[in-house]
This record gives sequence, C-alpha cells and structure tokens, in this order.
Amino acid sequence: MAAILEVTNLHKHFGGIHVTRDVNFSMDEGEQSAIIGPNGAGKSTLMNLLTGYHRCDAGKVVFEGRDITNRPPHQIARMGISRAFQVSSIFAKMTVAENVRSAVHAQMRQTFNIFGVASRIGGDETGRVLALCGLDGKRDIVAGELAQGDKKRLELAVALAGKPRLLFLDEPTAGMSIDEARGTMELVDQLNRELGLTVLFTEHDMGIVFNHARKLTLLHRGVIVVQGTPAEVRANETAQKVYLGEHQL
Amino acid sequence: MSAPDHRPGLIARLYTSYGLAAPVAVLLFVLFLSAPLLPGKFWIHVSTEILILGLFAMSFNLLYGYMGQISFGHAAFFGIGAYATAMLFVALKAPGGDIGVVQFLLALTVGPPVAAVAALIVGFFCVRLTGIYFAMLSLAFGELLFYIVFSWYSFTKGDDGIQGLLPPPFFQDPVNFYYLTLAIVTVALLVMWRITESPFGYIMRTLRDNQRRAAFLGINVRLHMLANFVIAGSFAGLAGALWGPFSRSVNPGLLGWQESGIAVFMTLIGGAGTFVGPMVGAVIYTFLQAVVKMYTVYWPLTIGTIILLIVLFAPGGVLGIIDKRIKARRGEAAAAAVEKR
Repeated sequence: MAAILEVTNLHKHFGGIHVTRDVNFSMDEGEQSAIIGPNGAGKSTLMNLLTGYHRCDAGKVVFEGRDITNRPPHQIARMGISRAFQVSSIFAKMTVAENVRSAVHAQMRQTFNIFGVASRIGGDETGRVLALCGLDGKRDIVAGELAQGDKKRLELAVALAGKPRLLFLDEPTAGMSIDEARGTMELVDQLNRELGLTVLFTEHDMGIVFNHARKLTLLHRGVIVVQGTPAEVRANETAQKVYLGEHQL
Repeated sequence: MSAPDHRPGLIARLYTSYGLAAPVAVLLFVLFLSAPLLPGKFWIHVSTEILILGLFAMSFNLLYGYMGQISFGHAAFFGIGAYATAMLFVALKAPGGDIGVVQFLLALTVGPPVAAVAALIVGFFCVRLTGIYFAMLSLAFGELLFYIVFSWYSFTKGDDGIQGLLPPPFFQDPVNFYYLTLAIVTVALLVMWRITESPFGYIMRTLRDNQRRAAFLGINVRLHMLANFVIAGSFAGLAGALWGPFSRSVNPGLLGWQESGIAVFMTLIGGAGTFVGPMVGAVIYTFLQAVVKMYTVYWPLTIGTIILLIVLFAPGGVLGIIDKRIKARRGEAAAAAVEKR
C-alpha cells in the first residue's frame, strides 16, 4: 500500500531544548497508528510540526507525494489533513450546528461567499456529520455550554467535516467518561474501517492504544525509541523501561 | 370546550424565528419612518445624525462583534469617505451655484470605494496582529491619517476643513434629506445583514471565537480578516459620505480617535452581540446627547458614567439585558407549563 505520509529527519528545538530529533516514520493509506510516550516526550509538538503550527528546523514532511514542510496550517488542511487538539478547540459562542457548518463551508470553498445564506449551504453534509458523531440532538446548543465529552466529540465532528484523508487526533478521549471514550474510539475505528480514513492519534490510556492502533511509535525526549505492532512494543524491553522511568538516553 | 387560541404576535414570532435583532429592526424602522412627524426641525436633525452614526457604529461592529477585534482607528475610514465625497462635491458643484442632483448622488458614491482602498492598505498591516496590538496599530494608523489630513493644507484645507457642502435645493429640506439618508442606510444595512448571515459572516464568527481552530479548517485567517476590514471600512466610508452634506462641512476631527470612540461607545451601549445593537446604541447616545446638552455642559461626564455602568453591569449592552430577560421569562413560562401538565 502506498505511503500517505512520510516524515524524514524531523528536527525541532525551542532554545536549547531539542523537542524532536531526527524523527523518521511513514504511514500507509488506511493505517490507524498511535504515537505514545510519557509527558513531555514531544507527541503534541510532533503533531504541531506535521500540521504547520510550528516550523520545523530541519527535515521533511511529505503528504501524498507533496512536500508540506513548513506550509501554513490552512494550506495543509486544504490538502486533506485535519486535526483535533488535546484541549478541545471549538467555536465556543457558536452553536454545535454552526461549528460543523462552518467547517463544511471551508471544505466547500465557500468562505468568501458573502451573499449566500449560510444556513442553506451544506446543510445535508452538516446533518450527516452531526449524526455520525451523535450530536444531531444537540445541534442548537451553544458549543461553549457542552459537557467536556461532547466538546471533544464536536471537535472530532469539526475535523471530519473537512473530509480529510489523514486525521490527527491529539488525546481524543481526554476528559471523557469510560463510555464516551469507548464510543469515540469505536467511531474512529468505524471511520478507518469503512471510509479508509488514515488516522494517527496520541493517547495516554494504554488500554485504548493497544486496542485501537495497529502500529505504535514510542517517542521519548523527542526521539523515536521503538516502532512496531502493539505486541512488538509491549514486548520491547526499552519501551518498558521508558514507561517505568528507567530509560536514560 | 377547547382552550382559547393564544397565537403569538408578530414581534414574538419574529423573536422566535430570528432572535432579538428582527423585532428590534422592525421597531426601529417604523420609528425612523415616523420620525419626521415629530414637531420642529431639531428632531429631524437628530434622527439624521442617528442614522449616519448608527451606520458608522454598525460598520465598526463588523470588526468588533463579528471578528472579535477592536479598532480605535475606524473613524479614519469614516473621515476618508467624508473627504472623498466632499472633494468631488466641490469639483462637481457649479461655481457660485448649487450642485445638481445627479452630481450630488455621484459624489456620495465615491466615499465607500476610496475608504475601501484606504482600509485595504491599513488592514494589510493590522490583520497581522490581534487583540491589543490590533487595537493599537489601528489607532496609530487612524492618528497618522488624521495628521496627514490636518497638515496637508493644499489638498485638504487642513484645520479649516471643507465648507459649504450644501446639497441640491430639493435635499436642503431636512425631511427630504432625512428620507434620502434613511433609504441609503436601510439598503446598506440590508446588504450588511446579508453579509453577516452568509458563509463569510460565519467564518468571521469562527475567527472571533478561535483563530487557531479556523486555520486548521483551511481558512486563511489573515486574508479573511483583511476582506472584512475592507468591507467594514467601505461601510464607514458610506456613513462619512453622508456626513458632509448633512453637516454642510467636513474637518480633520472626523478621522480622529474621538470619532472612533463614538462608534465604540454606541456599540457598547446597544450591544455588540446583536446585529442592530450599535444602531440602538446610536439612538440612545445621540438622543441623550441632544437632551443632556440642552441642560448642562457636562455631556462627557454623563456619557462616561453611562459607559461605566454598562461595562460594569451590562456587558452585553441594552439589547443584551433585554435578550437575557426575555429568555429567562420564556424559560420560566415553559417550566410553569410543564409543571401545570
């Protein structure tokens, strides 16, 4: 299967601290992988580098054969990459439906349409995404008033409304109840299985990681320590030491 | 026996369907239509001022209420629109005579595009910043433009301003000029409303709430902010274009920070969260100013106290309070109905 994402020698430092060093990995189309690592390992920074939020100091990111290194986030999003943040990042004063509809408009390249009526454009797609994420009963609620779990689901809905081919999820179940987390990850599995969506997520809950990722990348102090299937990573001695705090690089 | 049919009235139905903006807009329009029935010319004058400054404040609210950025230099575009119209007005006027109706209307049309070009240049720099930095840069540009107009005597007549902008004889009648202003402002606000309800208008709301998230949807944040800045500037230019023939003159003060402050005050008083909020603020501000100045010279003290009270106790403005109370009453009514059942 063709690689949808190729990351080569990615390097980033803030002052004297190297947050990623020579990160190399690739993802095949339709793959569902996870990046794991203790706090401060560089997982979120890596996602920020891949999506253009931070500039890379060195290295290359190629998506579907196109070099996207250091391109601005809006250009990367238009190419087909969506993301959800660790702390839910939504449009708090807008309703749930308006959040998703605006993402649909962005996907439809309608953002400069000044004379169309927003509520009449992209309604079907908005309804489909809301139903998919279990939010159709909450469409008129102001997003800022949602419970934390619903905010995370709304953020996933907003990301999906962009019809991505590659989806980055930074801690998708953070702040959710056990049932909400299970439901969210089942939805991610469904999107991956039925629509062929390529998914890369970070997660602290190892139960979720081992149940839902088919490939794992263990990051520690900005360096990839181990890559492989969940079974391979679980059996790896270095990986165990990293999580037990004994590994020194 | 069947229960009596309590069909809600037009205002209540408008509120349910479109929120507070719709019934308030209908009420304002009826009030503005009937304003010339008030005795004397003074109130016609006040009503015309309300319409022009209301349009100016609503153009400011495209930046503040919809895009989440406060501009302290928005009057620059109001003033540039006023000067562009005034200069063309003088050029088209017959020497020693009146300006023709066609020439007069032509002079009015030049304000918005000239203001839009100025907004494009100023906005190019301002949209690179947000928050207090956006506010300060807009203030700096506003004062820069004020100083250029103030100092460039050979082109702008400097501190003297441009005088004698007497409209054609038909529009010298205050009622006729008032209805012309009402027609232009109504059309402008309908266009503005359409923009705020368009996909572009909703993209502005996303930029107000969360620029980072918007960028990750594929939205070019700066480009959309610039487009809105230009749109807001051109509406301010239209308001400025009307101001010259209304006050018969233009002066550099129209571009200054105090004029920008009027738009901010009106928006805060009426409420930035509702489309017509700034127009309600313009009604309250201008009416109060007219009345208070009849009795005392302490107008700045009065308006300062009002703003203080609004900011402290009603950050959503007058319409914010009304909307909150209606929602609370409707919530209580709904709860009572459930309990009754």
